[in-house]
Amino acid sequence: MFKALRDLLKTNLEFAIGAALISTILVIALLSFFSPYPPMDMYVTQLDLPPGWPHIFGTTSRGQDMFWLLSEAIRNTLVFGLCVAILSRVMALVVGLVSGYLGGRVDRVLMSINDTFIVIPLLPILVLFYFVLRDKLTMGWLAVIMALLGWAYDARLIRSIAISLRTREFTRTSVFSGMSTREILQREHLPYVLPVVFSTTLNNINWSIGLEVTLAVLGFTDINSPSIGGMIYWANQHTAMVAGIWWWIAFPVLFLMMVFIGLYLLAVSMNEYIDPRSRLSRMGGAS
Amino acid sequence: MNDSASAAPVLSVKGLKAYYRTTYFGVNREVKAVDGVDFEVQRNEIYGLAGESSSGKTTLIKTIAAALKPPLEIVAGRVDFSFAPNILRMKSDDLDSLRWRHLSYIVQGSMSVFNPVRRIRQAFVDFAFRHINKPRAEFDKLVDAHLARVKLEPSVLNAYPHELSGGMRQRVTIALATICRPDFIIADEPTTALDVIVQKNVLDMIREIQREIGSSVLLVTHDLGVHAHLADRLGIMYAGRIVEEAPTEDLFRNPLHPYTAHLVSSLPRIGDAAPRKGLEGSPPSLAAPPEGCRFHPRCPLAMARCRTEVPPLITVKPGHRAACFAITR
Repeated sequence: MFKALRDLLKTNLEFAIGAALISTILVIALLSFFSPYPPMDMYVTQLDLPPGWPHIFGTTSRGQDMFWLLSEAIRNTLVFGLCVAILSRVMALVVGLVSGYLGGRVDRVLMSINDTFIVIPLLPILVLFYFVLRDKLTMGWLAVIMALLGWAYDARLIRSIAISLRTREFTRTSVFSGMSTREILQREHLPYVLPVVFSTTLNNINWSIGLEVTLAVLGFTDINSPSIGGMIYWANQHTAMVAGIWWWIAFPVLFLMMVFIGLYLLAVSMNEYIDPRSRLSRMGGAS
Repeated sequence: MNDSASAAPVLSVKGLKAYYRTTYFGVNREVKAVDGVDFEVQRNEIYGLAGESSSGKTTLIKTIAAALKPPLEIVAGRVDFSFAPNILRMKSDDLDSLRWRHLSYIVQGSMSVFNPVRRIRQAFVDFAFRHINKPRAEFDKLVDAHLARVKLEPSVLNAYPHELSGGMRQRVTIALATICRPDFIIADEPTTALDVIVQKNVLDMIREIQREIGSSVLLVTHDLGVHAHLADRLGIMYAGRIVEEAPTEDLFRNPLHPYTAHLVSSLPRIGDAAPRKGLEGSPPSLAAPPEGCRFHPRCPLAMARCRTEVPPLITVKPGHRAACFAITR
């Protein structure tokens, strides 16, 4: 595993850049545990200081240190993205594999539900949820709602692979040797679709973070727990751009871009690595 | 083989009819893929089943292995194994415990025989481990020893399927099918994707292992050369029925049924450069087969009777059966 990672860093530039970006973000997110004061506390520093020492990313008009606020925000945002991705991946895998393998009536029922979720317009629904739930819509609940709305595309993708796997010789051999449906899906089909799932997981994190930021910037989330979108929201509320406090907007946006680009590059390069066939050709035939 | 013919057969198929039946939009369709097949396979025997594409070979072996999925249905007949009487009526749990241990199959050689993302070792564990009631360490040793039997290094186990050559992959499938020392092995086109040299090696290997573990083999292929090399007895299928059955050598030297005669005369012979004449027409559609003998539209010996009556498979001489009115009268 470590050898593989080292080889990837050496031979794959996309992976190296992606890993560098994401590990920077991760280190900053982990630093939030050492924050000298609760990040949402206001008026603990001087207001509107530009980037410099000791406030390296400057301070906000609400008297918060940008660096510590950002580290807490990026941590929350990453955890949020991961939760959405994991929850929705589990649903997509179960629905996709079962539907593709069993086919017939099960497939039709599952896919009609699936297609319903595909055509639901996301942003209006999420805004509606905010207006109905208001204060009850915490980051956790938002993650659950987004996961419920975010599995459908990938379930279709996984189903399309499962349909092809079902007709292959090794599936027939598995059935013949007496493996149960669960065993076949888990042991034979799941490893086959995992590379695809892995890549869509990273993309799904991007998607959910993007949507969360969109909602937060508009003020349709819990704006009192720190998140990247929430920071931009407060910056806009204090007319940071007009007042010349550019660092209040610039750093959250910069962090967001690092996350997006980093995850995308990891998704692309890891996908190539996980598939044993393309791995061989990329690594010059050495197995 | 004649001395063992009196003993109880390992497999006996009686009057087997298996049709594909579908109903779409109120239209019933019926494809009579296997239509009245009788034969027996003795212990320690390689029984060859030959026939062109769409003659019902694959359906027949699916039925024999009781691997039926709709729309394939059994219409009549029964299949008895010495270890599993009336296998078509068995519960699926019992079938699961039977398969691989008693009844296994060598799959058609192709890229998708193994899961491309699982190592060979995992294939052995997935398919065979449950059927061998031994701890894992002992199972691993058994696999190593068994691979040596098909002349493969144990290191093959750590490879992915795409890293093996076609011949190696086929040898692994043979090892996989025979690891539990089954009583009966179904080999479906085991060498179709291989070149002749590898083909010969693989066939010899099947024979060697079959001799060693004393199982019976049902060998299904359209390639008569393979049958000549390997099979003890040979059944010729045409349009869902067995038309002739005889010990292999007898069948090649002395074919009785006109279809078999044409089949054998179409084979090239060394030193004979005369162009071979093909048979007119093409095999019938199994959705609407001709009445009577299914071969009669193409048969040079067809009589009025052949158009209406189905010729029974009759023993013409010891060990040699044929279904043709022109021979049996």
